[in-house]
Amino acid sequence: MENFIIAARNVGADVQLISNLEELVAYIDQRIEGGLLLSPCPSLKRAGLSAMLKTAGVDVVEEEFRAHGASAAAGLTGANFGIAATGTVVLESTDEAVRIATTLPEKHFVLLDPRKILATADEAVPLLGDFHKQMPQAYLAYITGPSRTADIERVLTIGVHGPAELHILLLEGLSEDLMER
Amino acid sequence: MNKADRSRHYNDRVRKAIAKPRLQDTLHRFADAYVIAREAAFAGQDFEALRTAIGEMKDEVRDNLPRYRDEFIANAEAAGAKVYIARTAAEANAYICNLARDRGVKTVVKSKSMASEETHLNHALKDAGVEALETDLGEWIIQLAGERPSHMVMPAIHMLKEEVAELFSKVTGKEEPAEILHLVRLARKQLRQGYLDADMGISGANVAIAETGGLALVTNEGNARLTTTLPKIHVALVGMEKLVPTLADANRIINVLPKNATGQLITSYITWIRGAVPCGDKSKELHIVLLDNGRSALAESPHCRDALRCIKCGACANVCPVYQTVGGHVFGHIYISAIGVILTAFFHGLNNASELVRACIGCRSCVAVCPSNIDLESIILHLREVIGEEEGVGAGKSIVFKNVMRNRKLFHGMLRAASVLQKPVTRGERTIRHLPLFFSGLTEWRTLPAIADKPLRDLWNDIPQKVEKPRYRVAFFAGCLNDFVYPEMGIDLVKVLNHLDVEVTLPLEQSCCGVPALYSGDKDTAVAMAEQNIDAMLENDPDFVVTSCPTCTMALQRDFIDLLKDNPVWAEKAMKLAEITIDISCFITDKLDGAEAFGKAIKAEKVTYHDSCHLKRGAGVWEQPRRLIADSGREVVEMAHSDRCCGFGGSYSFTSHADIAKQILGDKIKDIEASGAACVAMDCPGCMMQIQGGLQKQEKDVRVKHTIELLAENLDD
Ligand code: SF4
Ligand code: SF4
Repeated sequence: MENFIIAARNVGADVQLISNLEELVAYIDQRIEGGLLLSPCPSLKRAGLSAMLKTAGVDVVEEEFRAHGASAAAGLTGANFGIAATGTVVLESTDEAVRIATTLPEKHFVLLDPRKILATADEAVPLLGDFHKQMPQAYLAYITGPSRTADIERVLTIGVHGPAELHILLLEGLSEDLMER
Repeated sequence: MNKADRSRHYNDRVRKAIAKPRLQDTLHRFADAYVIAREAAFAGQDFEALRTAIGEMKDEVRDNLPRYRDEFIANAEAAGAKVYIARTAAEANAYICNLARDRGVKTVVKSKSMASEETHLNHALKDAGVEALETDLGEWIIQLAGERPSHMVMPAIHMLKEEVAELFSKVTGKEEPAEILHLVRLARKQLRQGYLDADMGISGANVAIAETGGLALVTNEGNARLTTTLPKIHVALVGMEKLVPTLADANRIINVLPKNATGQLITSYITWIRGAVPCGDKSKELHIVLLDNGRSALAESPHCRDALRCIKCGACANVCPVYQTVGGHVFGHIYISAIGVILTAFFHGLNNASELVRACIGCRSCVAVCPSNIDLESIILHLREVIGEEEGVGAGKSIVFKNVMRNRKLFHGMLRAASVLQKPVTRGERTIRHLPLFFSGLTEWRTLPAIADKPLRDLWNDIPQKVEKPRYRVAFFAGCLNDFVYPEMGIDLVKVLNHLDVEVTLPLEQSCCGVPALYSGDKDTAVAMAEQNIDAMLENDPDFVVTSCPTCTMALQRDFIDLLKDNPVWAEKAMKLAEITIDISCFITDKLDGAEAFGKAIKAEKVTYHDSCHLKRGAGVWEQPRRLIADSGREVVEMAHSDRCCGFGGSYSFTSHADIAKQILGDKIKDIEASGAACVAMDCPGCMMQIQGGLQKQEKDVRVKHTIELLAENLDD
């Protein structure tokens, strides 16, 4: 987990250890003004996050992502697993809602159970294979830090087309299933 | 365009590029940062092993292409994609334009695809009445500027922020400040609507995976994710060479690609897409266009086909001194730099490649960093031969090569005559400072050494050799420069070797190593010279053949074998010569164990060492000369970029590309000065000539010495 945190921070992600759902809701609430696209991910559903966020006054969007995507302030998703060597989160994103939540808004909050961190990308290869076996159509995403470009004079600049902020929230107890979808 | 016009046009572009010092500045700064970042990114990994594996995997696909291609197509189609094989650029464009017309597509968003640059897809779409919007920031910038990418990974690296601000101001209709963050945010806003409005998204792919029928895209900005998600149709235009067998193979490439491209451990996004994924309340319409366009022809060429291993990381540009000097618009066509030279020849025709083929200086920096293990420089050399056969090597040169160089007596006679003829020019000094006007381009920026009064071959019998019981008898291959320009170095070499109980002979039938002819594309002459030299050097069955010029070393160790491999008799002799050929520094350290035999120099001078391209990246020698210099009582101080080319490149700096060579030399002089050394040492008379010329012209007080000369100084002391 330590390696993961170092690597993710190195590429400009905010990494936060979160101990319970209340803390999580507060963390998000403090950082957004506007709609939150809530990804239809089983572990978030199980945790009952939608209700908690709404109670806290967050404008939670759970459907019609295409219509709301461009104006929403943030997306909240759950990662299938992390890769320590590069600080990467891996999201099974075949459901279009996951893709919109992680591409259009300025901020992306992603929950990761720290028990689901692999050491290297090599270890992820068999899992990729399993996903492909289980799903006839697949869209899988490795996300490492915020969107970036160095296309003007090689100066590194954050937040070009994708999210300008990536918050990785480590919360134990969410899920142990790396293949969850 | 005829050949003369084409050359004139090309030279014009070289001059214009050189006149943009901020371009060079950007490219140099990037190159420096790149080298450091790349090294950090690969820390703890065995680059040689990684690239060997990638090369072998790619070769496997090339050799069994139909099998992997069919496997890919079957899996992709089972997942709901439609796959089309385009034999030519025109077929690819027609397929995509027809599809757009058929589906009533008005606008298209594109994420970066070099294959679409290769086919000029945007033009075709425009002609079909479809508006294409590039969304990669760099691609958008050059689209607005109406230019083409000057780098495969960083397409707008040649543009300054002021120029970008000007372009963006035209889009917004008001004056935009030249602040990078502002410009990036502006692009985000401007392009956002494009994704939402577009009816079709066009992407490339970094790998196409046979076992899944899926694609992987490696990006930083996030535009490819939007392009492949929002529009209801997705077209992926994919070069056939992107096929890999398995997910593990794809992972192997993705591990290396960002590290080698920009020194990033990984890009922000790696996206794996297989099949017609959900899109709104339907399924996405996915079309994969597999592009051949010259790739099959490339696979058929035994000399060039390794180029199909390329993973388009752009590293061969990052480290190339020619690229750093003139940029990708001049040293490239659509694809740029070393790989660009080769792909241009196959994808866009030999005619578009012929100037590029000559612009390579042969320093092999690209070969050292290529993650696909491609010997780019050798392939370029081969293409130069092909072009030489097709177009001739240039009237002046072909007379010299065919009629003069192949006849040793005539060649040496002319050199002797030149030594007399140059007198009015040198005024008896040892360097030519001014040549008659029509040669002035050659001496404006450096002095050239004069041809010696007496070549080494005339002095040889008078050089005393005192070795009682020789450990070895070696033959010295002097090369033209040592023989005719720096004969005193030959005398030093005898002194140094005699000191280590080695007797030296100079076979007089040896001649030019033939590399100048080979590098100019005249293979026949090179073969004739190789045969002549092999006979000369093997004649008295020496224990070793020693060399003092790394270009000659590589000729004797490598090129002769290659030139003569189809002739069994000569091939065997060439092998024999290669086996016993060794460069002088290596010979002293590795065979004679003589590094400490020269005592300590009286003056512990600060010496910086320049790595000659052919010695370090050709023969793999760099540590030995440093050891000789340090053990002989001198302080070795490293200059920055010690292994960056000095711009000599044989006849390159004299005739074909003097302007580029001058810039590269200027960089080297700056690094030497900044090291604070009183002396710059090297193991190559060509580099000596170039560097000495540059230092003298700029009146810098730094001695230029061959390592052997330094050792000889100890013996004189
Ligand atoms: S050999 Fe040197 S000059 Fe030629 S393409 Fe490679 S890096 Fe550039
Ligand atoms: S030839 Fe090698 S270094 Fe150049 S782009 Fe291709 S893979 Fe990279």
